[in-house]
Amino acid sequence: MRDDGAMAPPADSGIARTILHADLDAFYAAVEQRDDQALRGRPVVVGGLGPRGVVATASYEARRSGVHSAMPIGRARRLCPDAVFLRPRMAHYAAIARTVRAVFERFTPLVEPLSLDEAFLDVTGSRALFGDGRAIAQRLRAEVSAAVGLTASVGVATSKFVAKVASDLRKPDALVVVEPGTEEAFLAPLPVARLWGAGPVAQERLRALGIGTIGELRRTPVEVLALRLGAHPAAHFAALARGDDPRPVVPERDAKSISQEHTFDADLRDDDAVRRCLRGLSEGVGRRLRDAGLTARVVRVKVRFPPFVTRSRQVHLPRPTDDDAELAECAIALVAKARASGRPVRLLGVGVAELVAREATPATAAVPQQRELFGDAGEVAAAAARADLEARRARLTRALDAIRDRFGHDAIRRGT
Amino acid sequence: MKILCDRQQLQDAFSVVGGIPPVKTPNPIVQNVLLRAEGDQVVFFATDYELSARSVMASVQVLEPGAVLLPARETGQLLRELSEPTVSLAGSDDHRTTIECGSGSYQLVGDDPAEFPAEPQFDGTVELQVTSGAFLEMFRRTSFAVAREETRYAINGLLLDYDSGNLRLVGTDGRRLALCHQEIEGPDEPARAVVPLRALQALGRAIDGEQDAVLRVQLGDNRIAFQLGTTTVISQLLDNRFPAYEQVIPKVAETSIEVDRLQLERGVRRVAVLSSGDVRMVRFEFRDAALLLSAESSGVGRAKHTIDATIEGPSSAISFNPDYLLDALKVSDREIIRIDMTDDSTPARFALGETYTYVLMPISGS
Repeated sequence: MRDDGAMAPPADSGIARTILHADLDAFYAAVEQRDDQALRGRPVVVGGLGPRGVVATASYEARRSGVHSAMPIGRARRLCPDAVFLRPRMAHYAAIARTVRAVFERFTPLVEPLSLDEAFLDVTGSRALFGDGRAIAQRLRAEVSAAVGLTASVGVATSKFVAKVASDLRKPDALVVVEPGTEEAFLAPLPVARLWGAGPVAQERLRALGIGTIGELRRTPVEVLALRLGAHPAAHFAALARGDDPRPVVPERDAKSISQEHTFDADLRDDDAVRRCLRGLSEGVGRRLRDAGLTARVVRVKVRFPPFVTRSRQVHLPRPTDDDAELAECAIALVAKARASGRPVRLLGVGVAELVAREATPATAAVPQQRELFGDAGEVAAAAARADLEARRARLTRALDAIRDRFGHDAIRRGT
Repeated sequence: MKILCDRQQLQDAFSVVGGIPPVKTPNPIVQNVLLRAEGDQVVFFATDYELSARSVMASVQVLEPGAVLLPARETGQLLRELSEPTVSLAGSDDHRTTIECGSGSYQLVGDDPAEFPAEPQFDGTVELQVTSGAFLEMFRRTSFAVAREETRYAINGLLLDYDSGNLRLVGTDGRRLALCHQEIEGPDEPARAVVPLRALQALGRAIDGEQDAVLRVQLGDNRIAFQLGTTTVISQLLDNRFPAYEQVIPKVAETSIEVDRLQLERGVRRVAVLSSGDVRMVRFEFRDAALLLSAESSGVGRAKHTIDATIEGPSSAISFNPDYLLDALKVSDREIIRIDMTDDSTPARFALGETYTYVLMPISGS
């Protein structure tokens, strides 16, 4: 989840944009196969191995047996008993993803990561340097492969939506270019499920109108769609069906907010488990803040109680932070406000907003500061001790990041 | 319950109690205001369990005595909108009250008055008496400095500090401090209390109409009661850990400046336009019988403004948050004010009136 920030180049400038959607093929499984020769060519399933575990990624070999992500692991075992089942090594994948991100950034600063293994790139301004969309995409795929030994599928189009559909179309190891002006024809034969935002309900309503493909949707007057879907979704789908998607590519640095959330397979009641989860989410958010060189003035939490009651709380910090422990303290305190002890929770989210560049954070001495009236000797000492503690916490966090980069996320953990 | 009353009187009496009911509460009945009609008067009472207020509307035509609960928020909003001279209120058995005014009729759903919390009885151990208008003036000159955010000290309220015939009101948020004092009638022994701002705001609405009355202040261990005519406000007190405020009022200064208050206020207001940025800041430079105000906002612009001033002591420069300064200049009534200051790590003292002192911590590192 993220908000779109102000961006260049403007989507309405009249010049056709060139947008790439790059997606690492079966990312977690591909990393495991890359690292262990014995796994190559064999079905590999990465996911939670416990009774409630779900498939995070299945290799293409396993997908042939019908295994797909988000499937309960037990079902995957029945469908593909020969597969090698592995626990995810998230920190390892994250480190590889950062290398891949750096490759992406060789081509354009406008990289919007969607997850570890997926990103949008706006290369409109890079065409003079690297050639057209196809040339850039070819070079990008080659450089990713050279850097990390993994294949990426890339879609090239004039909008985010079409680029994503394109990259998905002929996975794995595929390049699909949708030339400007051919978007409608490209989309027409595809099922409406491909439309961004078309969930089961929208699909069912479209089916009731006899619409199965994007082409059929495009030929249906928007007024007719509006009767079934409502005016806003109807206009949205009609635009997508024409290949119109003005959403800009927003790099993380320009993001107005960063958040992470987790949906539990079984509702969580235990207060300690809730706190643990919030610490974990806070660490993820903190890491993304630090990677982007940002600090946050606002911490938010989201709590969903079964079935679908969602509560949000937020707090303004006296000074912006990128510190995991501080984020976690805020998140825990905020959730405590929204949730009575023991109340079951279906989803937890931690987010930050009002982001400012770390350099802009007022340091202690150099920047003008409103002094305190009651700053007696004891107070000054306390303030100095506080500053010292903060500096030590920042060093600790950087050390943790470095250790996790090298040895994996679970190599080290904060005592709580 | 059935009454006929003057609209203005009704608005005044209701407004004293109308702000007290809490917006959020586990016990929604206190979101109502109790109205009790008896004899030829109507009593209003509201409480949030920490703060309660009672006001009386006299010479009312009580057609049927009795009590009703009125939803505070809606009633308050409705009364503010009425403009005709008289209003009638009539309760029904199902806790509804019909308000009629001019050609309008409004039915409000209340609750059972028998369930409403009882009015607290309170007798303090110390009683002070002060002219209501003078107290309101002191409140107006100090309350803006009270801390709105939670802080380490009990400074989310206003300090009432009484000692041998002298009552001080002190408000501070840890960066500035406003102090007013007044000679009053009272006992010999000293008394201190930190009063929540809300209690004084409710009182302020009552005083608004009665500037020349006697305000009786009763102090107990952890409660305070204010009585003004037939109006009573009773509040819990805040923690007594108010900081040692006298220590931060500077006794000596290197430089003293006298300057016209209106010119200073106008100058600071103008220059402050270009002081946005992370730290709001206006620089004061004193030299050659002039006060030079300046501010700069990077990428936006800069401002300079000179004011005549009488300066004693070495020339110097110091920066203040303009908003903090304007808050106090606005409520001062002195033509010429004096500023005593030393450096950017020492509080500056502003003499803003015979009985009004303002202390402001500068901004350092500018």
